[in-house]
Amino acid sequence: MTGRIRNHKSLKAVLLALALVLGACGEDKQSAGRPRPPTENEPPVVATVPVEPVPQTPAPKAHPVTAKTKETYQWYCAQCHGVKGKGNGINAPHTAVPPRDHTKAAYLETRSDEQLFHVIKFGGLAGGRAPCMPRWGHTLDDDMIHSLVNYIRELCHCEAL
Amino acid sequence: MTTTTPFSRRFLFGALLLLPLLTGIGKAHAGPDVASLVENGCDACHRLEASIPEEGRKGPDLFFSGNKFQKQWLLNWLQSPQPVRPSGYTSDPGFLEGKPTVAVPHPAADAPEAQALTEALMQMKVEGLETAPPEVAEPLSKGLRFKIKILFERDYGCIACHQTVNLVGEPRGGVSGPTLLNAGDRLQAEWVYNWLKTPARFEPKSRMPVFDLTEEERIQLTRYVMWHKTEKEEK
Ligand code: HEC
Ligand code: HEC
Repeated sequence: MTGRIRNHKSLKAVLLALALVLGACGEDKQSAGRPRPPTENEPPVVATVPVEPVPQTPAPKAHPVTAKTKETYQWYCAQCHGVKGKGNGINAPHTAVPPRDHTKAAYLETRSDEQLFHVIKFGGLAGGRAPCMPRWGHTLDDDMIHSLVNYIRELCHCEAL
Repeated sequence: MTTTTPFSRRFLFGALLLLPLLTGIGKAHAGPDVASLVENGCDACHRLEASIPEEGRKGPDLFFSGNKFQKQWLLNWLQSPQPVRPSGYTSDPGFLEGKPTVAVPHPAADAPEAQALTEALMQMKVEGLETAPPEVAEPLSKGLRFKIKILFERDYGCIACHQTVNLVGEPRGGVSGPTLLNAGDRLQAEWVYNWLKTPARFEPKSRMPVFDLTEEERIQLTRYVMWHKTEKEEK
């Protein structure tokens, strides 16, 4: 009787562990220390999360990149995306999915400004991306997020196709 | 403070200059006795009063130490300080390279000094914190812990910045935030509960995003953080 309860418990633990391994943000054993470079058109990491409809946002060029934008990027984003946006911040070796390289035009061309805005505001999970990308909507206002999108466009020297 | 630490003399000098100013503030507010902290030069890097400007801080604020820390942890840590933030305090010039430059190693005190410093720090409190519900102190069952782990690692991605314990008890996680591996020895549950809702109250310039947690999530994450002790009561 107790044996059965035990089994039941450990099965539950295994299932939970599985859920974590599949969807969590921490480094896993295989990839620890050598982050896998993101490939172009990489499929969403968390495939089970439905992509929310992309909200309509005003014309982004109304939010120029200022010294404050770059400061904000250095303060909050660089800890994962790196000082130059190359995806090699101090946390990068410890995240299951590497932070995006913001200088990589080939990938960022495939993403619209609205999609980038959405992921920054609501987080990776809400945008069909990895949960290691936090949501910044309670920290930064929309104007700042728009100007960060423009800054990322400067870093990649690219526009959405 | 051991006189052999290279910067204790430097900071003693700075402290002497600031002494009249700070003791003045202390008296005006009839607050805790910060004299032992000032004598030891702690104020060269830490704010001991909320009224001191934020600019130029080299270490985390200590004016709410009595709300934040566990007394025993302070007493031990001040005698043999180990890094809490693997990349240093957020203002450290080496932070974004993950190579802290300030207070490496942190100044250490001998036992009687540590005792006096701990007494002073534990008196330093801020008023008006939200009272945490009693659940935050209850031990966490394994099942619930795994559930909250998903919240911590997947829903909010906290592990991208904070070291915690994985399923087989090994440390893992990012290095930009303070380690949480011994958070249950170091922090007070009520402080964690308050931090999760109003971090700006304790750190006006954090690098951590602000989260809009539900009350249940806030309680669960507090319990999960507090579960991380050096000696865990396995359940
Ligand atoms: C805790 C680490 C971390 C921090 C801090 C962080 N990011 Fe990210 N970010 C990531 C990770 C990991 C990904 C990759 C997600 C994926 O590809 O599934 C990512 C992806 C992105 C993407 C690409 C989204 C897409 O469509 O593929 C953008 C844009 C982005 N981050 C912007 C930012 C900005 C702006 C900030 C600062 C406000 C920031 N990030 C802070 C970890 C972080
Ligand atoms: C040279 C600057 C400097 C001086 C002087 C200094 N500290 Fe610190 N202190 C720091 C830094 C930087 C940290 C963060 C270290 C870490 O997180 O690993 C820190 C961390 C701490 C912590 C842990 C705080 C936390 O949030 O975990 C305590 C407690 C502390 N110091 C107390 C003191 C006391 C008491 C003194 C005086 C005897 C003192 N410090 C002197 C720079 C300093």
